[in-house]
Amino acid sequence: MANIALKNLTYTYPEAQAPTLNHVQLTFKAHQFTLLTGPSGTGKSTLLKLMTGLLNLPSDQGTISYDGQPLSQIDPTMRAGQVALMFQNPNQQFAMDTVENELIFALENRRVQPDKIAEKITTALAFVEISNLRSRELNQLSGGEKQKVALAVIVAMDSDVILLDEPFASVDPAARTSLLKRLVQLRDDAGKTIILADHDLTDYATIVDQVVRITADRQLTTMPTADWPNLFAAFAKTNHSDQLWPLPTEPQTPLFRFNQLGLKQGQHELLRTTDLMLLQHHNTLITGPNGSGKSTLFESLVRLTTYDGQITYLNNDIKTLRRKRYARQVALLFQDAETQFLNITVAEELAQSKKYAYGNYFTSTRIALAMTQLNLTGHEDQVIYTLSEGQKKKLQILLMLIMQSPVLLMDEPLKGLDLKSVRALVSLLKSTIAVTKQTLIIISHQLTGLTPLIDYHLRFDHQQLTYREAIE
Amino acid sequence: MNPSIKLLLLFIIALEISFTTIISLNVALIVLAIAYLLIHHTKLRTIGWLLIVPLLPAIGLWSTQYINGSGNKTLMAWVLFSRIYTFVFTGATFTLTTNILQLADSLEQNWHLPAKFAYGVLAAYNLVPKIQHEVKIIRAAGLMRGQQLSFWSPKLYFKAVLVSINWSQNLAQAMVSHGFVEDAPRTHFRHCPLVWQDWAIFTVSIILMQVGAFLLPWH
Repeated sequence: MANIALKNLTYTYPEAQAPTLNHVQLTFKAHQFTLLTGPSGTGKSTLLKLMTGLLNLPSDQGTISYDGQPLSQIDPTMRAGQVALMFQNPNQQFAMDTVENELIFALENRRVQPDKIAEKITTALAFVEISNLRSRELNQLSGGEKQKVALAVIVAMDSDVILLDEPFASVDPAARTSLLKRLVQLRDDAGKTIILADHDLTDYATIVDQVVRITADRQLTTMPTADWPNLFAAFAKTNHSDQLWPLPTEPQTPLFRFNQLGLKQGQHELLRTTDLMLLQHHNTLITGPNGSGKSTLFESLVRLTTYDGQITYLNNDIKTLRRKRYARQVALLFQDAETQFLNITVAEELAQSKKYAYGNYFTSTRIALAMTQLNLTGHEDQVIYTLSEGQKKKLQILLMLIMQSPVLLMDEPLKGLDLKSVRALVSLLKSTIAVTKQTLIIISHQLTGLTPLIDYHLRFDHQQLTYREAIE
Repeated sequence: MNPSIKLLLLFIIALEISFTTIISLNVALIVLAIAYLLIHHTKLRTIGWLLIVPLLPAIGLWSTQYINGSGNKTLMAWVLFSRIYTFVFTGATFTLTTNILQLADSLEQNWHLPAKFAYGVLAAYNLVPKIQHEVKIIRAAGLMRGQQLSFWSPKLYFKAVLVSINWSQNLAQAMVSHGFVEDAPRTHFRHCPLVWQDWAIFTVSIILMQVGAFLLPWH
């Protein structure tokens, strides 16, 4: 039972110039399922953290109230019963080692009597249909299983309002469907209020009661039901392409060859034993649902994770190659831009890439030109960690292009970028590889603007990796 | 036995054997420790490994002392040799029979350490494998940019610290969102009793230790 009212809510991060949320006014009605959308990096997480009390709202910056009672006046020990948040990254939301211990920890915090705890755990796990995971180690679970455990914790704590921050980013489709089914059940049978932030809009059209968007001027607007079809259709389009790609024919130069390759995450099989080739001087796009194992495949290609079978690079087993030399040949553009950075300022990063570059295509003039193209000029002396997410992503890609390693693996290079930046990036990529003859292997959900760059398409789904002519 | 009392007892034993040169005491402690492990169903293979792994350093110490030592070389060589095994086996009676969760429970319930401390340590402990993987990723990211980050490289530590700060914030938020409130009362599902028997075992062990050290030494 909770109507949540946001009144005149403004929030500015201490180091930021512009407010992340600007005079937000909105009421979330009790027992409703609200979808909160908007591009990445526009303040969805900030809003949810403010609503949970994980971020403190200065008292003169508006109010958040549950049934008329301001959040700041709710006793901290009662908050978890009022509102709970499920995080985007499934790896960073547990304090304990096993599923059962995490549930015990949460219930002890809620001061549940010890003789009631075991029963509550049994019920919560049964509700999410993961009773078999009870004594498993959290580290050994797949992304989907971890999010199911996170939901079981929330169910056990019996919070009235359930907030979810892009909860399906590394969850496979089957687990996503099952989680969504449970959420609907929690709304319909237990009267919970659910607010879910996501930028992937698949499957929501028929289940949500309300769609709220974060606008460009950092406010919230409720979308009229009449506009929903357009919104959902426009989203489906960015993930779809009518283009057909040829299937590779045999006598081309293999870049990577997989011999009986198998991938696992804990006890969860990601890729069944596969024989396959990736080709040199052609760009390959890898698509597939969340949690299918695409990033794990990249991690094994750069030897950051273990695998079964053999991977060869230009006919050498990659395990026999010296790490230092191999890293100069095959580089990975990490999904999280910050992972790539080694220095403090933009200029230092550019200087480092230029110093160690594999070729000399990127002269100072070309770098300056690329900076202009990507709208990064003027940020040279800025500390990289204060750039916006979009600027970080663009800088990261530029840094790895300057390196000119013969093979560049790109994990979701367009994530969180607006269309203008996507176009600028793709044109920079095209003009660069036309000269440097690099091979790109790209994992991407977002296809708009990217397709002209692609020669072949690999589909990673249902533990299988196969060349396909079309998407879907 | 209560985990924190056990830990305290083992600390005192370790301290005392560091300052004594009594082979009989070391041997007696090893025998007792092995007996304790066997009672707690430790696998014979594990005990075998505990015997084999310290052998090289033990022989190293023995020969160094035997060749280069001063005074009673033979005695000191065997004292050092047996001392290594005493450390290993008494330590194993803790690490092989008590997990860190039990210790955290005991510290929180018996000694009223702040729950934040007990669970913070526990959470950090559970993060160790991920931190190891993260260091691997940082070094790979360095290599891909042409830079080898050695174990003494400031860049490696700068990045590792950044990542840790980020994680510790996320972890703190995760604990809060699972209902954890600093200094607020909690219930306890697992009970960790501290009873007079624990104190009795502790006292008797310390007395026996002194008997072995001062009344019945066999050099």
